[in-house]
Amino acid sequence: MGVAAMKNKLKIYRAMHNLTQEQLADKIGVSRQTVIAIESDRYLPSLGLAFKIARLFKVKIEDIFTYGGKEE
Amino acid sequence: MNRKKYKQLRIIVTFFVSAVVSMAVIRDSYLLAATGVLTGMVFMVLVRVKAKIRTDERESTIQEKAARMTYAIFAPTIGVAAFLLLLPSKGGISVFSKGEWLFTESLGMVFAYLTLFLITVYAISYHFFNRKYGGGGNEE
Repeated sequence: MGVAAMKNKLKIYRAMHNLTQEQLADKIGVSRQTVIAIESDRYLPSLGLAFKIARLFKVKIEDIFTYGGKEE
Repeated sequence: MNRKKYKQLRIIVTFFVSAVVSMAVIRDSYLLAATGVLTGMVFMVLVRVKAKIRTDERESTIQEKAARMTYAIFAPTIGVAAFLLLLPSKGGISVFSKGEWLFTESLGMVFAYLTLFLITVYAISYHFFNRKYGGGGNEE
């Protein structure tokens, strides 16, 4: 699965919770560069990190991350 | 301690170790160099453990990809170099048989053993990680 097939709304959820990239990075235990890379769809987070993000915003994973690829 | 402070501290320790090693080179003291490097390493490990600094998963992914690419480039390069360096000495080419280029054979042997070592380490670590991540078993 390519990075391009995945889309996310992390930036929107971060703005909704008034968090800076640095604050979000500290809360989920990654670097700010990782948050930037996820937001710009250049890096796919691991399942564990995706759960952490979803749990932080109290939503389901699929609310933040969506798969835009073709069904096989 | 956050990640930013840890990175700053790492830069300071790197400068300190560089200074100690430079001083050791000037004074021609192996002991000072070894002590400086070991102190730096132990200090950074302790700070990392105490401050609970975890490796960023994106960083780990980058490291994995870089390691894979390094292996993919280095192994064939060094293997081909070993072959090319060993070929003339086995081929009986006159300029090599005179012994003037004897060092190429030695270098070729070193490269060949390095290639074997690299492939062996890769195979062992592959086997280890394959087992660690559930491969190799027939459990249902």
